Amino acid sequence: MYRTLVMVSVMLAALLVFAGCGSKEEPPVVTDPTPVVTEPIADEPVAEEPAEDVPPAPEPINYAAMAPQEYGIEDVFFAFDEYSLSDEAMGTLSAAARIMREHGDLVYVIEGHCDERGTVEYNLALGEKRAVAVRDYLVSLGIPASQLRITSYGEERPFAFGSNESAWALNRRGHFARP
Amino acid sequence: MLTGLAAVLILAGVPARAADPEIHLGTTRASTERLDMLVQPLEVVSGGTEAQEAAWLVESVIRIDLDYSGFFRSLSPEDMSDTTRVQYAVEGLLEGRLPGTGVTAAERAPLMTLRLVAYPGRQLLLSKRYRPTWDRLRATAHHFVNELHMFLTMEPGISLTKVVFARGTGERRDIYCVDYDGENLLRLTANRTLNLFPAWSPDQAEVAFMSYREGQQGIYMLETDTGKVRLVNETVGSNLAPAWHPDGGELLASLSKVGQHEIYRLSLTGQVVRRLTVSPAIEISPSWSPTGRDVVFTSDRTGTPQLYVMDADGSGRRRLTFEGRYNDAADWSPSGEQIIYACRERDITQIVLIEARGENRRLLTDASWRNCEDPCWAPDGRHIVFASDRSGVFKLYVMDVRDGSSRQLTFGEESDKTPDWSH
Repeated sequence: MYRTLVMVSVMLAALLVFAGCGSKEEPPVVTDPTPVVTEPIADEPVAEEPAEDVPPAPEPINYAAMAPQEYGIEDVFFAFDEYSLSDEAMGTLSAAARIMREHGDLVYVIEGHCDERGTVEYNLALGEKRAVAVRDYLVSLGIPASQLRITSYGEERPFAFGSNESAWALNRRGHFARP
Repeated sequence: MLTGLAAVLILAGVPARAADPEIHLGTTRASTERLDMLVQPLEVVSGGTEAQEAAWLVESVIRIDLDYSGFFRSLSPEDMSDTTRVQYAVEGLLEGRLPGTGVTAAERAPLMTLRLVAYPGRQLLLSKRYRPTWDRLRATAHHFVNELHMFLTMEPGISLTKVVFARGTGERRDIYCVDYDGENLLRLTANRTLNLFPAWSPDQAEVAFMSYREGQQGIYMLETDTGKVRLVNETVGSNLAPAWHPDGGELLASLSKVGQHEIYRLSLTGQVVRRLTVSPAIEISPSWSPTGRDVVFTSDRTGTPQLYVMDADGSGRRRLTFEGRYNDAADWSPSGEQIIYACRERDITQIVLIEARGENRRLLTDASWRNCEDPCWAPDGRHIVFASDRSGVFKLYVMDVRDGSSRQLTFGEESDKTPDWSH
């Protein structure tokens, strides 16, 4: 009980101090903390209380429900009309492979995407070649193919809108998604 | 003497065209000349305001169908002047039922007679009687003009045809259908996913299309009168752009189940009839010639997509396009003599017309059209439909390839792509 009161007082004091910070007009006001009350030594039983200064155990993170980007698996980008992997893309995929190995039970869909230039059909085919290039590289790094599915959306699902190179560059990608 | 002879021929039931060289089209007629056709107001014999409105509707649809055919120019009596030379007229009469008479829809349907006559003599050339229900008035007018077109030109018209296409945004596109004149827009799918490349069966009974199920592409078949959808093919990888054989019993598709895109002939239940291409390149966008003997397709075996033609068994491959770095989406004309396709040059995609042997390449669109894609022939071999983003979003447009005239087919703010024109 005594310890509780001290904790509460300290916290109150801290709150008051921090509440004062950043305020340019008034100096922080520290009021008297709650007066300490000495308890009579217990005839009364000391109730079991949960230890309040130990934070509760964390919820296990449900990676299967998260988008891969949320736990560090980044998309890779491609040059115009290309499906080959740049050095930068390979670096991104090496990092992705390390994270994938830590969560060996998770399956990913690799989506191939293209910018809006060109025909609907050829972009669907090119998108698939991009997805395949990403998958094949991850497999070469030891990720089981059964963890990796591929699909292509061609130019149909852009990430950025606009008819300019900055939008186009963002749309030429291999995107990791949950199945 | 000659007039008398012509009169005798008409009375004997022989069409007047035997004596009139103007009727033979295409090759002898200059492509931009149109045949004037007077459309007389329909005579309403009975039936009150409802019948009169029906008559006006039928008359206006007849005029639009004549003008949209590219072959005729419709005139009303007010358009006629002393110098107008008209040889043909459409006339007819409508007998509506009086309100309160007739119990069934059929009994209440008006009796409509539509005629093609010579002008000014009014010799009868063609007569049709219809009893359309009130919701079938447009279709009746379309039917009559289709008969008229065939009678005078000996070639199929387009007034009974429809265009199917994919409308929406990247997350969802649904298959829609519209009459060739832009009316009667109908939505055919509502499956909350991306649907593309609808393709009419030759008898208009089915539409094949591509869809996604949980990220996997598949080829599906929709029955147009029931709306029922069934799966045709869903192999690993791509299942792209089904194309019907001219006889209707087979599909061409591009599948990547062997690791790269190849062209296959598939039965309507998805069995492989024949694999047509074997190459490490992307091979897509197949389209049959109207005889079913050849297939035009796209391959990037030279590094960028180009058009090739092969026999129906995959042999006899020959390259079709040598101009332009990026050529795709070919469609073979109903006559077998021409192919249209999309060509990307300098970051803009245009529609190109070429003869089936590769000669006489010409652009049908220019930079003012911005990007034009997915061209498709109408069964009259004269009109095409394609998607253009000239307005800021892709919409469908119809163009007459002989005179370059065009009209917008679909409207609204959503994106319309991958059209197909019915037979």
